[in-house]
Amino acid sequence: MLTRARRLFRHFLRHRSTRVTTEGTRFLFFTLAVAVAAINTGNNLFYLLLAMMLSIILMSGIMAEYCLRRLEFHRHLPPLVYAGEPMTATVVVANRKSRLPSFSLRLWDVTGEQEIDRGLTVWQLMPGASHILSYPLIATRRGRLCFDGVRVGTSFPFGLFYKKAYYPLDGSVVVAPVVRPVEKTLLQRLSLLGQDFSLPRKGHGSDLYNLRQYHAGDDSRTIHWLSTARTSKLMVREMEAEDQRRVTLILSLLAPLSYDPQFEEAVSLTASMARDLGARGYQVRLIAGETRSHFGQGEAHLLRLMETLALCERSTPGRRESVSSFESASYDSEGGATILLVPWGEPRTLFRGVRPDGIVSESMLQGRHDAV
Amino acid sequence: MPFNQALRLSSVLLAAAAFIGLGLGANLPEWLLLLTGISLILTLLRTLDIDRFQRVFDRMRLSAMVWNILTVIAFAGFWADLLWISAELLPAGVHFLLILMVIKLFNLDQRRDYLHLYAISLMAILGSAASTTDLWYLPVFLAYLLMGVWTLLLYQLTKESGTGHSPASMTENAAVALQPGRREQITPELFWLANGLAVGALCLTVLIFFTIPRVSAGFGQKGSGEGLRTSGFSETVDLGMIGPIKRDPGIVMRVELSDRTGLQLDRFYLRGMAYDRYDGKSWTTRLAHRRALVESPAGTFSVRHISSRSPRPVGQLIRQTILLEALDTAVLFAAPHPESISGQFLAIQSDPTGAIYLPFPTSSRIEYTVHSSVTPVAPADLQSQPAVYTEVFKQHFLQIPESSERLGVLAREITQSKSSAYEKAQAVEAYLTKNYRYSLDIPSSVQTNPLEEFLFERKTGYCEHYATAMVMLLRAAGVPARLVTGFLATEWNEYGNYYLVRQRDAHAWVEIHLPNSGWVTMDPTPAVSEPSGDSQWFALSRVMDTLRLRWNRFFVQYNAADQLAVVRGLKEGTAVVRDRAWNSLSLLLAPAGDFAGKTLSYIVGGNVRLAAGFLSFVVLGVGLVIWLMQRKPWSRWRRSGPVIREHIVIGQIYRGVLKQIERHGIAKPRNATPQEFLLLVQQQWAAAAEFVATITELYCRGRFGKMILTQQEIDLAYHSLKQLTQLDPPAHT
Repeated sequence: MLTRARRLFRHFLRHRSTRVTTEGTRFLFFTLAVAVAAINTGNNLFYLLLAMMLSIILMSGIMAEYCLRRLEFHRHLPPLVYAGEPMTATVVVANRKSRLPSFSLRLWDVTGEQEIDRGLTVWQLMPGASHILSYPLIATRRGRLCFDGVRVGTSFPFGLFYKKAYYPLDGSVVVAPVVRPVEKTLLQRLSLLGQDFSLPRKGHGSDLYNLRQYHAGDDSRTIHWLSTARTSKLMVREMEAEDQRRVTLILSLLAPLSYDPQFEEAVSLTASMARDLGARGYQVRLIAGETRSHFGQGEAHLLRLMETLALCERSTPGRRESVSSFESASYDSEGGATILLVPWGEPRTLFRGVRPDGIVSESMLQGRHDAV
Repeated sequence: MPFNQALRLSSVLLAAAAFIGLGLGANLPEWLLLLTGISLILTLLRTLDIDRFQRVFDRMRLSAMVWNILTVIAFAGFWADLLWISAELLPAGVHFLLILMVIKLFNLDQRRDYLHLYAISLMAILGSAASTTDLWYLPVFLAYLLMGVWTLLLYQLTKESGTGHSPASMTENAAVALQPGRREQITPELFWLANGLAVGALCLTVLIFFTIPRVSAGFGQKGSGEGLRTSGFSETVDLGMIGPIKRDPGIVMRVELSDRTGLQLDRFYLRGMAYDRYDGKSWTTRLAHRRALVESPAGTFSVRHISSRSPRPVGQLIRQTILLEALDTAVLFAAPHPESISGQFLAIQSDPTGAIYLPFPTSSRIEYTVHSSVTPVAPADLQSQPAVYTEVFKQHFLQIPESSERLGVLAREITQSKSSAYEKAQAVEAYLTKNYRYSLDIPSSVQTNPLEEFLFERKTGYCEHYATAMVMLLRAAGVPARLVTGFLATEWNEYGNYYLVRQRDAHAWVEIHLPNSGWVTMDPTPAVSEPSGDSQWFALSRVMDTLRLRWNRFFVQYNAADQLAVVRGLKEGTAVVRDRAWNSLSLLLAPAGDFAGKTLSYIVGGNVRLAAGFLSFVVLGVGLVIWLMQRKPWSRWRRSGPVIREHIVIGQIYRGVLKQIERHGIAKPRNATPQEFLLLVQQQWAAAAEFVATITELYCRGRFGKMILTQQEIDLAYHSLKQLTQLDPPAHT
């Protein structure tokens, strides 16, 4: 029973709170003074003034409550944002009351126990009307950014009390890691470390692979008329096989707590590389811990990769990571490149049997982190 | 009007309301009234942003240092006022308060200056409440309340508007900081809301005022000042003393009567004192020794008629509620023959003549209730009957001044044909009424024998002369009589149902003693027709006086006893209402109860079919009630909630889509859902499908998902509809 009462009390405290403002304190002081004067003198006109002041206090409470009642909130958030990049969040507040408008509303975002003031104010909200409030939001770190609700407050009508009400309004947005342009030198260094990303082969792509003399059976649509005219021989185009332009990014999630900056840098670099390679037309696959994606291209695929990277969590080395999964996944039978991103530990030990085309090691990540 | 300007205006008006209250209530020096009044008018003109005044004000602007010095000088002046000029705290404080108000009015720049002005206004209205109880305080209070609500509201709104800006000056910087847009303007909604708030605050004020417990410690209780000077109610009254006050319209009391049936509507006597001895020039009472009345129950004092020599016949009781202004006499007025008196009194006294007194004159307005009995003349007194009086009684009520032989002759002449005392009295009364002229224009020169001058020479006079003459003539004829002073109420206020009694209603009349009836009131003064003024003005003045009475009754005089009475009344009222409701319900349900009783007796009697029918009926009835409670079919006709503007807009757009598509021969079947209709469009007009799909989705989200659509989504829907209208018609048409 006591627990229930306490829970109820907490619930009430969370949903309604009232604070006396500076002006309110002065007003209460004057009310007390008038009350003393009324009791002392028994003058009914003093009692009348006292009643007026008490009625103003009561009206404050009643009107503030009416202002905060029957409001409806909706939150519009983008599906994914990048850490450090501004996005626009929108809160729609509607007055569901049939007669009374709401005045002087101020809104706070509530996340856990924290109230975040975004400077959102609604001066007047007529009955049945709604108001859209947009505000820039910059997520500082990747992960899922959750909002529990909205706290709305008002000091209307007389500014004597500040009353706040809580409206639960769940909302979340996936925050992808910080994405920065990937330096060309880094990709070159990676390609120097291992073999090139891929060996170009002829196939059915869009990039030119080779020009050669026409053989019987060649598709007449592939004749390259410019070279034919120049060499006086019938020449045909051979195109590069596009399915060979693909990369597997393998991110190790193993890192002790002290290596958290390097881990975050590895995640950020993985995201940056995924976007960069995707923009270059590569099919990108991501393996992060137990999570692995398929090869893919395009905005939707990139969003999936970013979501994976946004939500992946560092594993402490004590908990053994399944090395076999890397082994089985490391090879691309079609001949695509594999890049290992290892924030902690020796790549060869961690990924035994994996022959990566490029390795981003702990030291490289440390260097990049320091540079940032 | 922008918020800042409205705040300045309401603040000045608030101060003005408080100043008017103080000006009307407290005796302020003219120079101070003039100074504050001019300051308020100037500040008001400045607030209205009239350029010319603005420029003048800018030139007159003084530095903060000068204002501070002025404040210090005013404070020194307060002490001088307190110690030497007024020599009282309240007037000196009020003077200082007004000086401070003037200084603040010219110095209204920062937000804290406004707060100071509000505090000064509050003190001023408190000072006003301390110095008056008059009706005019009510409009001042109402104006103060209205302005107070507006001021607090605007103060809050300007504070909210200025959030994020530096706490700058209200006049210049804030005006620059705030862009004058609709947001900072007083909208019609805000205007009505503010006035509604004021009305709500007033209702709550009245409610709280009547319910707040009256706990009066009474350390600083103070009356309303000196009592109203009146005459004719001391132990000695010179003949002609009442005359000068017969032209004074000052209000002495108001008398409410619970029942006026059986009374003369135009003459209601309010008895004060009775006099037994006349020395030729003045009347004196020799029966002035007072005795305290017994209080039972609390607050009610029973009057014992010591001087009644025989048991009086018990007549009808008149209940009077009297609101008596502060007078310079301790006499309490009431209709003749008071039986009991109740009110907030510590003690009540009475003398052998039946006059009622307070222990000492009150310095404030008092209210009390008296029950008086109407004593008709006993039939036995109409017949001739020798009366035997004691010597003491004769000394008191048959006393005649020595040199009055002509009086005796006249008395015999008038009464010689009459046998009973009552007939003699009637004859004297008729004689005086018929043969003498009423006039207040009596020379004020010293008269050696005013009574004989009245009776035999001048033959004009007013109530005192008539009454004295009648008493003397009756005494000369052997009928015990005495002179009574009091008020004759003639001004009935039909709006408030009470008599308004003024100073000019002071009156003197006669009481004669009859063996069986006791003291009987008689009045030889002829009724004087008052010069009636403009009837509309009189009506208006009566309405005003009614308001004044209500104000005094319900606000100024309201006390803990009234609260208790209200609670008791409510309790009794509730019990009465409950009993009546129960009786009505019983009457209403009696036939149904009888029917149920008979049916039950039938069932008990063994009629199985009827029993089964009855039980089925009960079960069905209960089932129907449960069904109704759960399904609430009436909610279909009730609006489910406020309609959001965006929902209306998207509905209109969707209806536009349906109309547009119908033009091309694709009509929405009545039973098809929006999604089913979309499939139909996709099949029959593929080009339109994309736009219809967009609008359908938004429509479903807004209409059924209760989502509030953003302006961009509404724009998208509009855009899609526009594109739909520009499409080529489908191939099959």
